[in-house]
Amino acid sequence: MRGITKRFPGVVALADVTLEVGRGELHAICGENGAGKSTLMKILSGVYQPDEGDLEIGGRPVRFSGTRAAERAGIAIIHQELALVEDLSVAANVFLGRETRTSLGLLDDPAMHDACGRLLASLECQVSPATRTGSLRVGDQQLVEIAKALSLQASIVVMDEPTSALTESESARLERTIRRLLAGGTTILYISHKMDEVFRLADRITVLRDGRHVRTVARADTTPREITGWMVGRELADQECRQTRTRGAKLLEVRRLTLPWPEHPRGYRLSDISFELQAGEILGVAGLMGAGRTELLETIFGAGEPTWTGEIRLDGKPVRFGHPREACAARIAMVTEDRKRLGLFPDLDVAGNVSLCSLHEATRGGLLSRRREEELVAAPVRETGVKTPGVHASIMGLSGGNQQKCIISRWLLTQPRLLLLDDPTRGIDVGAKAELYALIDRLCRAGLGVILTSSELPELLTLADRIIVLAEGQLTAEFSRAEATEQKIMEAATGGWPDRLGSSRPDVAGDDRPGLRLVPGPRDDRPPIGKDR
Amino acid sequence: MPQPDTAKSTFLLRPGEWALVLAIVIAIALTAFVDANHSYWFRPLESVRDIARNTALLGIFALGATVVIIAGGIDLSAGSMIALSGTVCATTMLALAPAQMMGFKPVGGVAVAVGCAASLLAGFLVGTLHAWLITAVRLPPFIATLATLVGLRSLARALCESSTAALTPTKSALINISDPFFKTVRDNVWIPVAVFGVLAIVTWILLTRTVLGRHLHALGGNEQAARLAGIRTDNVKWFAYCFGAMTASLAGLFYMANESVAAPVNQGRGHELNAIAAAVVGGCSLAGGVGTVPGTVLGAIFLRVVIDAVSKIIKTGADVYEGLIVGIVVVIAVTLAQLGQLAKGGRRLLPGGLGLCAIPTLAVLCGGIVSMTAGGRAGMASAAGAALLLGFVRFWESRRTP
Amino acid sequence: MRNRPSPLRRRDCIAVLLCTCLAISGCSEQRATNATPTAAGTPSGAGSGGSSSPRRLIFITNGDDPFWDACNAGLVEGAKRFGIESQGLRVVMEKNNGTAQGQIEKLRQLGSQSDVAGVAISVIQAENAAIVEEMKNLAAKGVKVITVDGDVNRETFRDARPFFIGTDNVEGGRLLGTTARRLLESRGKTSGGYVQFAGFTDNDNARTRMNGFRESVGGGYKEVDRMSDEMDLSKARDNVRTALVNHPDLVALVGIWAYNAPAIAEVTQERGVRDRLTIVTFDAQAAALNHMAEGKIDAMVVQNPFEMGIQTVRLLRAMHAGDETTVKEMFPRRGEPDGDIYTTGLRLIVPEAGSPLDANAVGEGKAGGVSVEVMPLPAFRAWLATYGLSSS
Repeated sequence: MRGITKRFPGVVALADVTLEVGRGELHAICGENGAGKSTLMKILSGVYQPDEGDLEIGGRPVRFSGTRAAERAGIAIIHQELALVEDLSVAANVFLGRETRTSLGLLDDPAMHDACGRLLASLECQVSPATRTGSLRVGDQQLVEIAKALSLQASIVVMDEPTSALTESESARLERTIRRLLAGGTTILYISHKMDEVFRLADRITVLRDGRHVRTVARADTTPREITGWMVGRELADQECRQTRTRGAKLLEVRRLTLPWPEHPRGYRLSDISFELQAGEILGVAGLMGAGRTELLETIFGAGEPTWTGEIRLDGKPVRFGHPREACAARIAMVTEDRKRLGLFPDLDVAGNVSLCSLHEATRGGLLSRRREEELVAAPVRETGVKTPGVHASIMGLSGGNQQKCIISRWLLTQPRLLLLDDPTRGIDVGAKAELYALIDRLCRAGLGVILTSSELPELLTLADRIIVLAEGQLTAEFSRAEATEQKIMEAATGGWPDRLGSSRPDVAGDDRPGLRLVPGPRDDRPPIGKDR
Repeated sequence: MPQPDTAKSTFLLRPGEWALVLAIVIAIALTAFVDANHSYWFRPLESVRDIARNTALLGIFALGATVVIIAGGIDLSAGSMIALSGTVCATTMLALAPAQMMGFKPVGGVAVAVGCAASLLAGFLVGTLHAWLITAVRLPPFIATLATLVGLRSLARALCESSTAALTPTKSALINISDPFFKTVRDNVWIPVAVFGVLAIVTWILLTRTVLGRHLHALGGNEQAARLAGIRTDNVKWFAYCFGAMTASLAGLFYMANESVAAPVNQGRGHELNAIAAAVVGGCSLAGGVGTVPGTVLGAIFLRVVIDAVSKIIKTGADVYEGLIVGIVVVIAVTLAQLGQLAKGGRRLLPGGLGLCAIPTLAVLCGGIVSMTAGGRAGMASAAGAALLLGFVRFWESRRTP
Repeated sequence: MRNRPSPLRRRDCIAVLLCTCLAISGCSEQRATNATPTAAGTPSGAGSGGSSSPRRLIFITNGDDPFWDACNAGLVEGAKRFGIESQGLRVVMEKNNGTAQGQIEKLRQLGSQSDVAGVAISVIQAENAAIVEEMKNLAAKGVKVITVDGDVNRETFRDARPFFIGTDNVEGGRLLGTTARRLLESRGKTSGGYVQFAGFTDNDNARTRMNGFRESVGGGYKEVDRMSDEMDLSKARDNVRTALVNHPDLVALVGIWAYNAPAIAEVTQERGVRDRLTIVTFDAQAAALNHMAEGKIDAMVVQNPFEMGIQTVRLLRAMHAGDETTVKEMFPRRGEPDGDIYTTGLRLIVPEAGSPLDANAVGEGKAGGVSVEVMPLPAFRAWLATYGLSSS
């Protein structure tokens, strides 16, 4: 790809980027969010057309008018947001648009079923090709996408942050698959932030920053610190909040919280959860997808199913919120996990998004006043460090990190005393993450209590004072920061009985617990591809 | 900080709305010129009155439709609500003053006031019903309002027939209105126009300047996020649907005054689509979260100007073509807004096999319309011309992106 | 979202395309008007607005029905007979959509156009004050307004129009009632129930016919129901089916509007009950004539829309030109009660053979002062053919 330039309204996504990839190599592409990695790959796979520049494959110039053309040229892309049709079976998705037909021209389901089965087997996936795609876990859905790419017999496969939604074992499985593909001669372009993965797999690494090409090096010639340095334009020391925070009074107490789930064989989303939180403390919640972290936060916030039993006490008084409004009134705030689906209002500007929960303060004489709204949002926007062309800019034009900061600003305006953060740094680049960590730390010192969910263990170990671990709806472990290690957390999260040494759990007799399944079966997670309206 | 904003309005109206103003002016100018009578030129006042009256009648419940659409819903039952509202008012007046109603005499201010109040109350109840069906029973808005589209009209008819059967000698499918209050409303076109103006201003303030208005936009933009931000979405929807139904009720009163009869069988039939068209032409997005009052007002004006232009130019049998031309104009208005994106995004207007079939379809449509209005020769010529033009477009597109 | 000048240009395209559409239609209008030669200019009244095209006489119907095609043929014939072209007039029929709103809008539109000389309207709702007002507004502008076939409520709104042309619906109803009674008696049924079917039961001509029928068919028979179908043809059929189901012991079915006849004929055939019912209808649609030829209808009272059309043109022309002589001819008893009504004749159509009715059957009808002609079906068809009509 040579001299590629791409402009979108208001922003130059790529400026004169040149990328050369050798055949059969795994070429990693690194960069912060907004650096242009996804855009570049979308151009390669035909989703976008470049404004300037050209592409060459195998020495021949090509031009793709659409994804179909790119597919014909042997390029397959596995997007970060999976592009599967939930209601169709796995086999149907794999062969979508290129269905096998019988001699009569009708669909040849058995042939597709078999072919799909073979592909899945080669990927170490145990899912049956007839399963409805929507019921699979994210990890398996991703493998379906890879199977689709394989069935195309693509010579170039682009993977955009493939492990962001995977568990450790699934990531390992994916790596094995990648190695197999490489051995077969496929070229792989791999977009990722995770330095450990990149350094395990890549042959060469390209760094993009702000839509420009910064550097391309061979893996052996560089270090993770150098790469992250190029990504942010400076070298980052690992941020750690070393100083301990003082804890205040007991803010939140959860006792024997149980959330039933009638449709599922397990029967519950949360079972018998008990923990405490003090003001000025950060409680980390670790666990795999489907463990119930989001449900826990939603239940506390009053946004989940109202069928829960148990007790939630705020400042010692029992509360039961039927609607998020009531939780707001009690000065609890929640920043949801999927900001695009659950947090942002695309038709409102930045000011509108930030002021939404505190509109009554932006009024003058009962009517909204533009000036007062601007004044109101100026402070939190500055404090959280949102980079925006203006407070009336469209929120969809901001990068992911800035959008997340806007949502946090929104909640900060309500002056909460308990802040629930559900995976707040997902999809945010390294620089912005560091800023968010500092922000959360500051808030805590000011007396806020924070419950923080995250899939990144290092993040939890950096931020949290204490960490509880959920596995399949049950609380399996609780650690203080001192005693927590990634190993222990992962063991607790995967359902193994925790090592009793060094854990401090409120005591529950071992016999009371229903047996945990040690072999993971198909789980009915909340599907990541949300259907609205 | 630099301010190249993209979300808020520029000078007073958005560019799309200024373009709509321009389109209205051009349509009027063209009609004035092309019309053989030059009615606009020599007798403008009557046409102004007619257009103003029709715009006000349409606009009143188009504003309601706008609020519902901005909140992310849709209301297909406005036309039937109009019928029901007129019937409720007439039935109330009939119940309070049967002799006067039958004898074409004034029914008295009290009866009129109670009738109008009953009408608005009916609107509130219907709006509540919609909100309940949509939030508690979880019906999609399309289905819920589709059900009331057919149900309310039938209810109105049953109400009319049973009340006339009970209170008058004969069962009837309509109730005549002859009270001087309604006659005044009918004669003075500036009354509905003034009511429309006030309602437009109130709605504009509501949508842009109140917390509730902001919540409406948020709800339409992203319902789940709105709930998680602490907005009581059920209550906001209740408001939106009640607003929609009550504006339809108000419009129903004007319809009744205008026709001097409450005739639930056909009154307002199909008019909800005109209201939605006015809102969409004025810039509302059916996905929710987007829309303005000036846009809807201009959209209503534009639609009525086009319809009047059709009547003026095709003097006799104009209503035969009215639907066709309004349909075409609405499609063009909304499509042209996306034309810019089509051109830049590299998407083709006439792709593949579908595009190839679209060429003769559009050519035949064009030729058919023209030959019906201007004669066979002109029809064939325009069909050929359209086919050539579209063929050229396709050729150019295929050259552009190999 | 691009918010810069491009949408402005795009929306200009709406205007351009709109202009093109309108220009094309406008050209057609010019061509049509230029096609009719206008001898000398038309020195019309004030407000002609510099238009040299002929002024229009508009006929507004109540709905869309073949009845009006016969009327239209009459309008054309009348235009020829009275040479209105040379007087700078032309006559046009506008078909309404079956609602009061439609007629109100049309009247308003005509009010804002300056080339209208006269309007004849078949009022769809007799008591609708809005229609009456618009008629008066038009008259105040100098347009000549009369009612044809469907009148306003004569007690309350008589001043809305100076003249009415049409069938005497009372007599028509009475005639039909008398006919029905004779038929029923000849079949040995001296009592029983009957149902009347019309488009709108509160339309003036429907009501008067039904009342006239009830009056003259006599107390021996009971009017069980009056069913309206709002000019919806499938509803008309469903009404007949419903009536047959709800009242299994009917003796007669009465069709009041033109399309009710084929509806009744077909449904009774379908249900196999033709033989035990006496079927009498109004008007003669082409389909109804066929049904009578096949024996499915016993008698038809037929209006003369053709004649209505001719007389409409005659009257409007005379009113427009200030021709008092003609007006006096048409309305000799002007000023007296009911002197503003011009009745067009009625015909009673009977099947050629096997009908108990004959020319003497309607002796009573004559007394009403209405001309009634009894015609066997073939003769009627021949009459229609001379004018190229298929229905009346």
